[in-house]
Amino acid sequence: MIVHGVELELLRRGSGRPIVLLHGFQQIEPDARCVELLSRHGEVIAPSHPGFGRSARPKDFESVYDVVNLYAAFLDSLPHEKVTLIGFSFGGWLAAELAVRSCHNIERLILVDTVGIKVSGPDIPDITDVFNTHPDEVKRRTWHDPANAPDFNGMSDEALIMRHRNWESLSLYAWHPYMHNPRLAYWLPRIGVPTQVIWGMSDGIVRPDYGHAVTRLIPGARLVSIPNAGHHPEIEQPEIFVDHVTSFLNR
Amino acid sequence: MDAWWQCEIPYPFVDKSITDAADSVRASLPNRLCDPRIAATLFDEVLDEFLLCDDLGMNVIAIEHHAGINSLIGANPMVTSILARQTRNVRVLSLGTLVSLRPDPVRVAEEYATADILAKGRFDIGFVKSGGTEMASSNMQPVNNEERYWEAIDLIKKALTTHDGPFSWEGKHFSHRHVNIWPRPYQDPHPPMWAATGDPRSSAEVGRRGLRHILVLRGPEGTKRAYDAHRQARVEAGLPKVTTDNFAYAALVYVGDTEEEGIEVGSKLLWFLNTSLKSAPQFNKFLPGAAPPAAAPDLYRTQPRVEAGLTLKDAEKGVAPASRNAEKLISITAPEAMRQGILFAGNPDSVYRQIMEFYDKVGGFGHLALVGRSGYMTHAESSKSIRLFTQEVLPRLRAIAPVEVG
Repeated sequence: MIVHGVELELLRRGSGRPIVLLHGFQQIEPDARCVELLSRHGEVIAPSHPGFGRSARPKDFESVYDVVNLYAAFLDSLPHEKVTLIGFSFGGWLAAELAVRSCHNIERLILVDTVGIKVSGPDIPDITDVFNTHPDEVKRRTWHDPANAPDFNGMSDEALIMRHRNWESLSLYAWHPYMHNPRLAYWLPRIGVPTQVIWGMSDGIVRPDYGHAVTRLIPGARLVSIPNAGHHPEIEQPEIFVDHVTSFLNR
Repeated sequence: MDAWWQCEIPYPFVDKSITDAADSVRASLPNRLCDPRIAATLFDEVLDEFLLCDDLGMNVIAIEHHAGINSLIGANPMVTSILARQTRNVRVLSLGTLVSLRPDPVRVAEEYATADILAKGRFDIGFVKSGGTEMASSNMQPVNNEERYWEAIDLIKKALTTHDGPFSWEGKHFSHRHVNIWPRPYQDPHPPMWAATGDPRSSAEVGRRGLRHILVLRGPEGTKRAYDAHRQARVEAGLPKVTTDNFAYAALVYVGDTEEEGIEVGSKLLWFLNTSLKSAPQFNKFLPGAAPPAAAPDLYRTQPRVEAGLTLKDAEKGVAPASRNAEKLISITAPEAMRQGILFAGNPDSVYRQIMEFYDKVGGFGHLALVGRSGYMTHAESSKSIRLFTQEVLPRLRAIAPVEVG
């Protein structure tokens, strides 16, 4: 799919109510269990961010401003009048930025272990610095069960190359200010659609307290926590995750 | 050929058990391990060594590294300004405040213009690309570091050479709308400019810009490759040929009375490689932008993939990451370092011969930078090497006039 001249990799699965997924640090895998489960309840539409997966990243396209504008254009270009927007982690930040600008094509919003705002004092990092922390520690904080972490030894060259490129793109977008927009918390109360916040109870990248803070800032938002899941409840507990999504959509 | 003395002011006095256990001796080691009284003594000694160089006619270099045992000079402009004022004879090179890590290049231009005034024109500006742990220490984005480097150089040069009142700069990385530095530099149009870089792409840019090109501990193959890229880029751009004066090389150097003494004491310099390069994976192989995506399979896998169809090694793909170079250097021994042109050590005749062998291998260079004190080397030992080098080796190097290359 080409949006504003940018070639985006797009995963589509199922039919019915449109559910747009904005991924976190890595693109969404086509064979992910949560995609299959979600696709039983609607049409899953999952683009890879510019510079992630097989999506292009134009020269100098290096900021969340660029990505958010591109996704605004992306939502406009979909045939659906309104979509459910689910943002995971870094993608939650993007989803929240889109929703504070305009909800004209967002019906419902779901933020999953999202980043994007500053909560604590200046000397307390809210979000684990995934760039400056030892990868073993990042892994420990990411997963409830580290056995769910990807096995690099078993991955194809192509998958590893993609992963490294994702990392580069992520650092361009989120290095500074780190994983958040200092002004976003001020604007979150502007979100005017039903919002569900979902959190992995064992998330050590962004702790559940942060989820409470996000929830408090969005009018009417509710928080649900998923046990035995870290930063990726959609991967570690896909059935429970999708149950929460569908009960929110049917509410 | 001219010679330049440098000392990074390393801080080796941390228990080996601590450095062995730490995943990185840069960026993350707590500064409670740095005794400020010892640090003060080290600065005293090394500044005295720089002044000894001034007395004996060897130029001096102030470098910059951040937050680690490898160097206490995180604030290059402070050391640069002391040298600019306290030396009276030799040239002073700042190599350099790390421009791609500084938020405002105009401030850097002010500092450098002031240093040139203090030194009454005996000042050279060096640009170092930085990377690795320093991206964490400085909070600066690593992927577009090189872009910031060139834009900062452009802005600094314009600030140093614009004399008709304020100009405005609104670039990709830097914005400064009212640039008008006082004082302007002593030298006209500006102090000589150096760049420290080794990869072929940026080496070519150094060549096109006509900067003096310095390679640090790269060995003959890497150095020659960089010099060649520099010269080739000039040919392709239709620029005039340059002389060996455009090229410099920095090596670990120690001169003793005897060959045995030179090698024995000179081996202490290897501490810089064996101990102070250690950095954690997030600061090297996984640092965004440090290695191209194509290098990823070898960076991520801890064991080879048996069923992998692609089995190309990094070298075959032309993507050897900087972390690999560091790994090779960490385990290097003195004979190996001497064989690779990283360490020149021995008696004066022998050191001169080693330098000239290297000179021939890389196609000549006009400036030798001596990393002359490191690790546990004492003030007395480094002072002795300074004396022997300036008295016995430097006169012979000075006899080598620049020749046109390219």
